[in-house]
Amino acid sequence: MKYIFRASVLAFVGYVAGIWLTVTIRGGSPTDEVAVIFGFILGLIGWLSGIGGLEAFGRQWMGKKPKTSPEKGWTRYFEFSIDHKVIGIQYGVTFITVLLIGGIGAMLMRIELASAGQGILDLDDFNKVVSMHGILMVAVAVAGILGAFGNYIIPIQVGASDMAFPRLNALAFWLVPPVAIALLGAPFLGAFNAGWTSYAPLSVTNESGQILFNLAIITFGLSSILGGINVLVTIITMRAPGMTWGRLPIFSWACFAASLLSFCVTQFFAASLILVTMDRVAGTSFFGPDVGTGLLFEHIFWFYSHPAVYIMVLPGFGVILELVPTFARKPLFAYKAAVVGMLSIVGLSVVVWAHHMFTSGMADFLHGPFMILTEAISVPTGLVFLSMIGTLWMGRLWFRTPLLLAFGWLFNFLIGGITGIFLADVATDIHLHDTYYVVAHFHYTIVGGSIFGLLAALFYWFPKFTGRMYNERLGQIFAVWVTVMFNFTFIPLFWVGINGMNRRIGDYPEAFQGANRFASISALILGASFLLLIGNLLYSAIKGPKAGPNPWNSRTLEWQVSSPPPQHNFTSQPRIVGHPYDYGVEGSLYAVFDEAGAGESAELEGSPA
Amino acid sequence: MKKSWIPVFLLWLLFTVLGLLLVMNTTVLPAQYSEEAEVIDEAYELLEALAVPVMALIFAIMVWGAISWRSRGADREDGPPQRGSRLIVGLWLVVTISLAIGIVINPGFVGLAAVRGEPVSDYVVEIEAAQFFWQVTYPNGATALDELVVPVEKRVRYDVHSTDVLHSFWIPAFRTKIDAVPGLTTRVYITATHTGGIDDDVNLRIQCAELCGAGHAQMSLPVRVVDDAEWLDYIDGLGTGG
Repeated sequence: MKYIFRASVLAFVGYVAGIWLTVTIRGGSPTDEVAVIFGFILGLIGWLSGIGGLEAFGRQWMGKKPKTSPEKGWTRYFEFSIDHKVIGIQYGVTFITVLLIGGIGAMLMRIELASAGQGILDLDDFNKVVSMHGILMVAVAVAGILGAFGNYIIPIQVGASDMAFPRLNALAFWLVPPVAIALLGAPFLGAFNAGWTSYAPLSVTNESGQILFNLAIITFGLSSILGGINVLVTIITMRAPGMTWGRLPIFSWACFAASLLSFCVTQFFAASLILVTMDRVAGTSFFGPDVGTGLLFEHIFWFYSHPAVYIMVLPGFGVILELVPTFARKPLFAYKAAVVGMLSIVGLSVVVWAHHMFTSGMADFLHGPFMILTEAISVPTGLVFLSMIGTLWMGRLWFRTPLLLAFGWLFNFLIGGITGIFLADVATDIHLHDTYYVVAHFHYTIVGGSIFGLLAALFYWFPKFTGRMYNERLGQIFAVWVTVMFNFTFIPLFWVGINGMNRRIGDYPEAFQGANRFASISALILGASFLLLIGNLLYSAIKGPKAGPNPWNSRTLEWQVSSPPPQHNFTSQPRIVGHPYDYGVEGSLYAVFDEAGAGESAELEGSPA
Repeated sequence: MKKSWIPVFLLWLLFTVLGLLLVMNTTVLPAQYSEEAEVIDEAYELLEALAVPVMALIFAIMVWGAISWRSRGADREDGPPQRGSRLIVGLWLVVTISLAIGIVINPGFVGLAAVRGEPVSDYVVEIEAAQFFWQVTYPNGATALDELVVPVEKRVRYDVHSTDVLHSFWIPAFRTKIDAVPGLTTRVYITATHTGGIDDDVNLRIQCAELCGAGHAQMSLPVRVVDDAEWLDYIDGLGTGG
């Protein structure tokens, strides 16, 4: 805890010093945006050095012995630990906390929208809550599965002792708390009301909270890129001997695909926000009202933010494809087709961005090509669906909580995908764009695809993280509750969208009140389900029955070691001799463990560790 | 166990028929007040009908799976070791690619062409969006801030611009939408087909559809569709009165 304390103090000192220096040199007020920028930068440096992040790099550069992470005790979760399992838990706890805070925002919005006219929030405050909810949930969806399960599971799944760059991994995580603090602190500077999309020129002219949004997201982008590199290099170079690309577990494939995207496109979001920041403080006019480049921001923004939705859902695909073979007791159906599908999604997702701009006034001839490319992405997504339902086909379905949530995932993401077709079609999108239909659609894809994946992963790997079993009955009640109430909340919103209610409004015509009230009541019941989730997991982590190394009888490597896994994951080197999902295949073997020091040097040399 | 094909097929057929009956006998779409609305609604209904068999397939497998493939007892036996089938993957690709090509053509390009129409118009009306109001300028130069009056059965070109941030010109009853972009003039053609006003249908209103700041939710303007002669009188009255 002392490191957190030291980091907080240094962050505060840095923030104040940055503001003081700026005001001294430049004059003006301490709440000027220039002062806030320098305060944030020095505060961030203070935070990282306080937590021990700079020391971890510096010691080695100076030729000193690097500090080792403590191996035991709960305090290591509050330190700059370079153990990927600790970092995975840190990400998981952080993002579940952010999910709950974002959820409170959603509850506030639904309470306001339960009746027409103004209730608990005035119109501008409503926009601010929308924006806060949006960006917090986007962060959870982008990095929740990758950060928590990617970090914890990937190295074990590929048979490595840690990530390729353990210190970089810790740095990527410790960049996240300042992001959350900056976003949640933005209301002190007037908050940001331009939505998570922060379209210019509104984001150039709104209140100063926007500057904290920009700084936070640029920092978060850095964290995503660093995390992306780490996942890519780990999977490329650290696979166990014998683990060819054709034997890589599908969850690792999905994280590979998502990280590739995140590594390649995240900088575009940061770039667009740097331009906005320059417009605000440096007198540039990239998006000024008189320059006529109003579409520039949208193009740069969506060049990241459309692929971003695949950064969110690809790991979700991975989780579901990973657990379906285990609970259907069958090999993953058409493994290669699923991999090709996910990699094709990576390729296609960077050339479909302008389908967000069918009503933006962009050149007419762009509509056709972007419609074709967008519809084309349904084909590789279809391969992923085929793989899932092919695996379920005539399996021995073991309906435990993860499989129930996988069924919920399938149902929701199907609706999300199908309604996406209506938005990819130019004619129908002209009407539906920016309505509640879009809101419902992307909640079906992002909550349905990513958050349901996150929840399924949470239950599937919970015994591995904690060594204990969650309460199955409560888990099943939660799975049914969350799926049903999610649908009750968002199905009516399709209807209000089609019937003329646009998004991001704190007030609406009376005609939409009935459906909105239904959605609001459902949303509150949906929100309450998370109390059951948190209660179940917290209680079970302490008091649950011992789970043993492999409660699901899975074949992948993370289930072949103790729960939780030992310090360096494996006590002896695994060697891969078969396919990970050959359930029911007579005499099939996936991995053998070479006794430490017992010959096999040829294979050990072959491993890139 | 090959007989899973038959019940799944029957369930799929049942869901498809029920689904098609549902989408053909009910509509979720609001009342139409323009030719463009007819095109867009037709596209919507076609996509609905095409979505039904696809969704029915996945639902059929999920329902039959939950009923019949459920593992009973705790013996945890493994299922049949099917790794995949080139034939099924190939068939699946043929079907999904055909569907994708099909919807790109119709309603895709067919709908796009129809909703755009020819770039000709009977009148040009200018729409200026600003935080947080709409200003309408009619062909005779008369302006109005309190409502948009539209001549029925005339093709009107709306030239839309913004003086500050992004807005979006959307009339739900007409289904059309185009953003108001600072520094650009965007255009949309609309032919109204029925007379009426916001008291008849709440969707006869301009609604700003792009988040534009504090007053975004209430940035709307009533729309009234009237006969051509009445419209000409109206704009003349504005011109002399204003």
